Amino acid sequence: MKIVGIVGSNADFSYNRLLLNFIAKKFKKLIDVEVLDIKDVPMFNQSNDQTDSDLIQHLNKKILAADGVIIATPEYNHSIPSALQSVLEWLSFRIHPLDGKPVMIVGASYDVQGSSRSQLHLRQVLDAPGVNAVVMPGNEFLLGEVHKAFDEERNLKDSETTQFLESCIKKFIRFINVVNVMDSPDGMKDLSSTEDLYATGSIDTTIEGINMSDDDWVEQAATKTNAVEGNTYVKLDRGILTVDQINQFLKSMPAELTYADSNNQFLYYNYKYEAEDMLAARRPEQVGNPLAECHPEKAFSGVAWVIQQLRSGKQDIVRTHVPTHGPDKFVVHSYQAVRDEDGNYLGINEYVRDIKPTIDWYLEQTGQQLTGGGVDAVSGATSKVDTVSGATVKDK
Amino acid sequence: MKNLIAIVGTNSDNSTNRMLLHFIQKHFADRANIEVCEIKDLPGFNKPKDRTAPVQVQKLSDKITQADGVIISTPEYNHSVPAVLKSTLEWFSYTTQPLIDKPVMITGASYGRLGSSRSQAHLRQILDAPELKARIMPSSEFLLGLSLQAFDENGDLKDQRKIDELDAIFEDYLQFVDITNQLVNSNKAHKQRAQKFSWEDN
Repeated sequence: MKIVGIVGSNADFSYNRLLLNFIAKKFKKLIDVEVLDIKDVPMFNQSNDQTDSDLIQHLNKKILAADGVIIATPEYNHSIPSALQSVLEWLSFRIHPLDGKPVMIVGASYDVQGSSRSQLHLRQVLDAPGVNAVVMPGNEFLLGEVHKAFDEERNLKDSETTQFLESCIKKFIRFINVVNVMDSPDGMKDLSSTEDLYATGSIDTTIEGINMSDDDWVEQAATKTNAVEGNTYVKLDRGILTVDQINQFLKSMPAELTYADSNNQFLYYNYKYEAEDMLAARRPEQVGNPLAECHPEKAFSGVAWVIQQLRSGKQDIVRTHVPTHGPDKFVVHSYQAVRDEDGNYLGINEYVRDIKPTIDWYLEQTGQQLTGGGVDAVSGATSKVDTVSGATVKDK
Repeated sequence: MKNLIAIVGTNSDNSTNRMLLHFIQKHFADRANIEVCEIKDLPGFNKPKDRTAPVQVQKLSDKITQADGVIISTPEYNHSVPAVLKSTLEWFSYTTQPLIDKPVMITGASYGRLGSSRSQAHLRQILDAPELKARIMPSSEFLLGLSLQAFDENGDLKDQRKIDELDAIFEDYLQFVDITNQLVNSNKAHKQRAQKFSWEDN
């Protein structure tokens, strides 16, 4: 789970930065925390819009791609520091990356208050319509007399405080899952308009001038681009294969593979079986279609949601169990983001597999068996996604 | 006549809070000398190692020290006070501390109906912090909602009821300044306490 930690102070030395670094280190098995500084962000001024500056866009992108945000605030004059206030003003003026984002508040101060009053102000600020964050209720973590709180290794000295912090973090993970369920396509919102499912745009690799809906799109596109085939050699990243070898190699993959590009056009599948024999039916004449033509209209919102998760970087993979093949199979559709070296979204690698034989094999090899019912407290909140990991594996 | 400093609580080029303070300055010209001051060019607060205020902060601070009272007019950003106003108050609390026991009146204008109600509440709490220790006029609130439509072409408030309300509050404020400036006994103690107040050691 990707978390962004925001240091709410611009001071060179900040105990709130120490606290976030400690959270990142101590709970790295639970969450993946990236600590971000705000010290060089300019003062907000609506007459001098700097929303597009690198610093603010950096924060914007990091927050958009994160599952949740932890803000650590000191207390200046009974309130949050102007530096943090200014950042929140930038992030609510023309861009709104915190909209709907799960946020947890922590804070440290030199006095006994532990930033109690600034945390209350921060809650009110985050609740403003322009910010519209989803702040976790309760679980107030106040670290008072912070100059006495850390040892030389910069770990919290007091084990009870650490335990309480851990319980807050675990609740935050569950809170994020709950918020995600609220925002998932099962909710009321129709998300279909968030993606161009009819592939009306074009990208560098789009083959222009051919009707995407034509049954022989592949043949037309091949002619147009002089695409190589057969025993012609192709140089790959690390290797050389003929087109025939690439085809056979991809067909031998233990999954049904489908590639759709970032323009939402279906470009390829490893055609091995006819539609009726596939776990997820594909037909040769569908290749080239925009994604809208491969799905019923009622699925558009869900499809757009999945693509948005991958495109925005919120998730690298979205999995769904499709329970249409009876109890003998456990079919999982995995939507894996394809990205270039710089992380830019290129499209989707959808692979469909029956994972039951793998699980059976694993249990047989290790002499374990499944006992149903016990749902993992941390990861279990999203029912659709975690059907598999929800069952706890126990020794015989 | 009393000398008052009026602080525009925003760095925006267009501000109805600025208009409101200029109206107050003009409207009460026979009751007080009011100087309208800007904070838009002050640097953002960042704890200076030597606890010295930048020149612009020192200048504004000196004006406040010499004045009988301060009027602050604040917009509302995200249910709170704009960062630039907060930053100014952080400079004051960390360096020059000119607001200790200074009589302060709060006004505020907003484009919406609420007239900066929530940011005024925050501002009261902030000014009450031990390092600022301003004397805020109690039980008074001047909220100017729908502020874009509130002024005529001369910069005067259009609504006579609003002007009456302001007249009453301002008269109270002038008395509040007198009363507060008589309460000097604790002033020395407050100043000492605030100066001893260290952001590191408290």
